[in-house]
Amino acid sequence: MKSIGLRWSVVFLVLTLTQTVWAKDYRASVFGIKSDGVTLNTRSIQKAVDFISENGGGKLVFYVGRYLTGTITLKSNVTIQLEEGAILVGTPSIYDYYTVDGMKALIVANNQQNIGITGKGVIDGQGTTVLEQINNQISKGYMKETALQASPALIAMDSCRQVTFSELNLVNACGNVQTYSGCRELTIRDVTVKSTVVADSKGLVLSDCNGVKLSKIYFETSGKECVTDGKSKNITADGCKNEMGKTVSAKN
Amino acid sequence: MNPGFRGMVASMILIVFFTLNVFAKDYKASDFGAKADGVTLNTCTIQKAIDFISENGGGRLVFEAGNYLTGSIYLKSNVTIHLDYGATLLGSTNPFDYVKDKKIGWMSMIFAVNQENIGISGKGTINGRGFITANNMVAYIHRGIFTDPLKLDRPNETNRPQNIYFRECRNVRVTGITLRDPASWNQTYDQCVNLYVADEIVDSKSYWNNDGIDVVDCDSVEIRNCYFDAADDVICFKSHDAKKICQNVIVDNCVGRSSANGLKFGTVSRGGFRNFKVTNLTIFDTFRSAITFAAVDGGEIENIVVDGVRSINTGNVIYLRIGDRWSQGKKPFMRNISISNVYAEVPFGKPDAGYNYEGPVEDLPRNISPASIVGLPDHKIENVKLKNIEIVYPGAGNPLYAKRGLTSAELDSIPEMRTAYPEFSQFKELPAWGFYLRHATGIEFENVTLTAQKKDYRPSIVMDDVTGATFSRMRFNEPESSGKEQIFRYKSENVMIK
Repeated sequence: MKSIGLRWSVVFLVLTLTQTVWAKDYRASVFGIKSDGVTLNTRSIQKAVDFISENGGGKLVFYVGRYLTGTITLKSNVTIQLEEGAILVGTPSIYDYYTVDGMKALIVANNQQNIGITGKGVIDGQGTTVLEQINNQISKGYMKETALQASPALIAMDSCRQVTFSELNLVNACGNVQTYSGCRELTIRDVTVKSTVVADSKGLVLSDCNGVKLSKIYFETSGKECVTDGKSKNITADGCKNEMGKTVSAKN
Repeated sequence: MNPGFRGMVASMILIVFFTLNVFAKDYKASDFGAKADGVTLNTCTIQKAIDFISENGGGRLVFEAGNYLTGSIYLKSNVTIHLDYGATLLGSTNPFDYVKDKKIGWMSMIFAVNQENIGISGKGTINGRGFITANNMVAYIHRGIFTDPLKLDRPNETNRPQNIYFRECRNVRVTGITLRDPASWNQTYDQCVNLYVADEIVDSKSYWNNDGIDVVDCDSVEIRNCYFDAADDVICFKSHDAKKICQNVIVDNCVGRSSANGLKFGTVSRGGFRNFKVTNLTIFDTFRSAITFAAVDGGEIENIVVDGVRSINTGNVIYLRIGDRWSQGKKPFMRNISISNVYAEVPFGKPDAGYNYEGPVEDLPRNISPASIVGLPDHKIENVKLKNIEIVYPGAGNPLYAKRGLTSAELDSIPEMRTAYPEFSQFKELPAWGFYLRHATGIEFENVTLTAQKKDYRPSIVMDDVTGATFSRMRFNEPESSGKEQIFRYKSENVMIK
């Protein structure tokens, strides 16, 4: 029994090592993703995320430039790395945001693990322009939802595990900035959240999450900085402040 | 053509007219936020507009002048895409902006699956920009991001977007538009009923497999007044499904050029082709055959009338072929073919020289190939009537370059090639300069003039295993050949020369 146990641990070790070895870096340009700010990269970025996830995981690295996109879905073992100067720009075109499993956001994930977005880059929701588009389409009768229902969040995740956001700038959401529901092991650190261009844009909405570490997040939002529900537990907040210098806690 | 067929086509046209005129409401694409700047990708916006119009009683989605960039969109019931003069639907050059439809198994810019009363109209353009898209795809394949065997150093044609692919739709009207440069076929109509295509211009030599129009297993089809300049086959009827058939088809007043064939049945020919009337067809500068019907996959071909053909500077005029490629036990046949009022000039040089994506030079060495009707010993081509035909050949067949004489050894050395891809040149050198007939019954030539501009070592017509042939009012013109026997019979019976 002992030797079998040993054998299994060796197998486990090898698997862990190979997993680490496979965690490659991929440059965005490999997938034809364009940094010109006008090419809509939705499907190329999605192709990149899917490809990396299906091939052992890794990082999708964006260098300086404006990367226009609609809704993309993060997949397990993929980290998006936005290097300093790289901006993921939400498209002004409202129909390029999809509702995925009830979530409408620029970046969506459902039931994935070991995912994240890191780097000193920016995710810009272009909230003003997107909201104008929404109101335009509602006034013409082409869009049946209310503006609130139609407004995409910047990031929305459901039932994900091992989620990490670090060093990012999250700006100008059209709806809330981040919403997490049913997530486990969520870490957000050194992130700047600036979202004041539309009314009541909340910085962080947690529901039914377990194991959340928030540290050094700067909030400047038109809605509440951080909202949690009664079901969320094991949340720590360390060094999180708003623009008035007030400490932001993770209380509901 | 039987009167029932005519009546059906007439009533089908009426139905299409009525159904499309009831919903006349126009919606501007720009109202939904579509941008005509040529750089904004409008895929999702156009899709939203189509869905909205379809769900709200139907109508036209109107694109005013400008360039509208898009990837794959799905046309829905009761919606017509209307492209104003100067409006272009510009295909994205990013292959990932296109969907490979799960049911269809191909990529396309405009799909429709299982919809009715749909159309594309107006004087605008659909430009796939396929050369760039295809080469972008090649780059992704080399990088390992997309999987494709890269056979012949190109992505499989199903991994390159077409301009239009409609499948299982009823009452389809595509009129007036110009189609340019997809990465694969231009427009495919697959298992559609009541299809009307008219006044189209297809200008498409951008990449391999740029067929002009592909009609697959459709019923009740009219193609009228279209002009095609295509790298691959011009007007191509196919049968992908052994249980389906392409039938009740009118092709009238069309002009085409190709680096492959003009009017083609096949190559995929599983079910078959029935009740066709093709009139006033002009084919020019075309590399292969002006008219070629292939039943190589078990297909059944019958009741085909072709009346009024000009085939100018085209490599071959007529090639009828039964083969046994993917038949899977199904018995192919080809019968009751009538081809009349044809004037054709076959060149000595390459007819498509200088066009993009020229047809491949192959099956050498051979002198100029004759028109051919070639069945199989166990599947003969039956009842072919050729009336009022004039074909001018270059002649000049030189036996030192390639020779197939008239001895039984030489005639029997022509391979059957049961499983080969059908092309007029596949047998290499043939023993005739005008017509080669093999494994056929009931062949009738009436008022046929065959001219060779220079002396040829071969006779004009060679028959091998032909049962029942009538030749009346035949004229042969070949310099320095008075007294030459121009009709040669081998293993043939009941041949009458009047």
